[in-house]
Amino acid sequence: MNDVASRHRLRSVATTLAVALTLTLAAAAGCDNRRDPPLPSVLDKLRESHVDGQAKIRIGVATTEPLMGELRNGVHVGFDVEIARYIASYLGFAGDQRIEWVSLATEDRIPALQGGVVDLVVSSFSMTEDREKLVSFAGPYFVTTQEVMVPARLKDRIRTIEDLRRPEYRICTSGGSTTEAELAKHDVKAYVVKEVGDCVKGIRAGRYDAVSSDETILAGFLSQYPKDFEIVDMPFGTSELLGIGVPIGDPALRDLVAFALQKSYLQGRNGISSPWLTAYNRTLGPWLKADKSQPQPLDVPKLVDFDDKAPTR
Amino acid sequence: MSAAVTEEARPAGPVPAVRDPAERKARASQSFWTAVVGVPAIFSVLRLGVEAGGELQTTLLLVANVGTVNLLAGFLTTAARLLSTGLVATFALGAVLRVSVDRMPPTVRRPLFARWVDVTPAWFAVASFLLALVTWQLLYLPLLVPAFVAAFQLTPARLHEQRVPRVLLLVGLLGGYAWLLAPTLADAVDQREWLALLLLSAPPLLALAITGPLPGAVVRPLASVTEAAVLATLVWAALPVISTPVLPLTVTTVESAPGVTEDIRGHVVTTDDVSMVLLQERGGVRYVPTGQVRAQVLCPSEEELPRHRLRIHDFHVEDSLLEGLGRRVRPVHRIDAACRAVR
Repeated sequence: MNDVASRHRLRSVATTLAVALTLTLAAAAGCDNRRDPPLPSVLDKLRESHVDGQAKIRIGVATTEPLMGELRNGVHVGFDVEIARYIASYLGFAGDQRIEWVSLATEDRIPALQGGVVDLVVSSFSMTEDREKLVSFAGPYFVTTQEVMVPARLKDRIRTIEDLRRPEYRICTSGGSTTEAELAKHDVKAYVVKEVGDCVKGIRAGRYDAVSSDETILAGFLSQYPKDFEIVDMPFGTSELLGIGVPIGDPALRDLVAFALQKSYLQGRNGISSPWLTAYNRTLGPWLKADKSQPQPLDVPKLVDFDDKAPTR
Repeated sequence: MSAAVTEEARPAGPVPAVRDPAERKARASQSFWTAVVGVPAIFSVLRLGVEAGGELQTTLLLVANVGTVNLLAGFLTTAARLLSTGLVATFALGAVLRVSVDRMPPTVRRPLFARWVDVTPAWFAVASFLLALVTWQLLYLPLLVPAFVAAFQLTPARLHEQRVPRVLLLVGLLGGYAWLLAPTLADAVDQREWLALLLLSAPPLLALAITGPLPGAVVRPLASVTEAAVLATLVWAALPVISTPVLPLTVTTVESAPGVTEDIRGHVVTTDDVSMVLLQERGGVRYVPTGQVRAQVLCPSEEELPRHRLRIHDFHVEDSLLEGLGRRVRPVHRIDAACRAVR
């Protein structure tokens, strides 16, 4: 009898505890439902960034690099330009009426970002340690290697880096580029001009014999003169990561750009057509020897956005 | 005293003869149904005033243009969760109190929730739980298990009369639950989401012990405290529901002069041949000539931002079952650039 009574009491205590705990848990759930999101959202970052409230976003692009950044009949076209359009639209600047294109020469990219002339630079900008001291990078959005393009008449004579060192060949490259440093490292003396386009013009005029630059830029000129030139695969070794340049004082903007690239990367990985893939297929895709896919962006922040609840599979 | 005896003894048992029991029952039933029908109706009208920004003329504009059916449908869409929470809490607490009072001397006044449970048909309670099942966020859905068990007083003994098969069945059920949630629980640990971890794992265990009567000393304070708490919670939770918009949020691009465009963020009240009436998000009504409207996009509101980054088998924990299924039908969610640009 006593045993039954004590079991009964135990049971009552257990019920009381269970009811009390369930009520506490329900109350905690109610409070949790009302608190602010713990993670920063895309909108929070946008408010922090300096582009918030601007009527237009200023993007620095190249205008003389076919396939990457080119001004054709008054319209900016190319892979970099398409990527820039995607980023701008992600930041709330959709359509060319909300974008102010600023054409930048290779060597002007860093000063333009430092001087506040542009908000972003999407112009075959290699992410290097030295540059990261001066500007911030989001990316990479493309991995490229250094190549050499020679006129068709020299395609059998210039095949190796050794050939480039021979004094009878005049090698040309653009100033302020990573190629310039890479050539110097391999003891190749090069004529440094303002734009890669000048080198191509120079070769066609007979002033130079070869041009060295990123394979993307060279593929662009090859697409313009497919019969006159050939790209020679040379083992320069280092691959280059192209990133989007952001002013160093605006980490929020860098985070947003990296997040936008990551969004496209995830879409592509899930087999959905991504903005990156569309841009690639419309521009570089047909002209590169090997098919490429979007590289995974580095240092992507964790942000919440409205589409987070969408299925991932 | 067994539970079965209590069940049968209750309706015939001597209720304090203050008034006729039938009359009391009728009154309780009346108050319950008045609350169920009246509260949504009053809310719907109240929130129009809030939506209008407290302006009389704007409220009248909304009243003139938002139909009763739209209003009720809009209310149900946004308030179904709150409504079902209120009902589920009432039924679960009412059933716990009822089974507890039944053991006490008949002179004790039955708590309000217990009386409500007396008069509510079982199908209505089941319907409330079904509504909760499809509208509650997945994160809070496990709480429905103890609530359901309490509301219908389903003791583990109901599973099987013998101890061994009963324990095996319970272990099987809990094991299945753990298997279903294991990846999410691991993610919750990784993300240090302790509350989410507790909300997902504890309720089924609590359900094991939640049935049965409470000690007499606890019943009376619990009854008054929970009645006040449920009421306070409903009022507190009702505030965001009242301020949830009735009309969808859009960004409308207007070209007032050639080449001059303006983006207006707000809710479209009505459109006719002459003008589009926009209730701006920050306040104020704009009549935009219909011919000047160049584009319009639908935008999410900031309250829709998720708070957690947990998923249960690819269903986001902050989605209800209905929303999760809906996302499977239309998996791509596109946020228009205009929504970010105009605030």
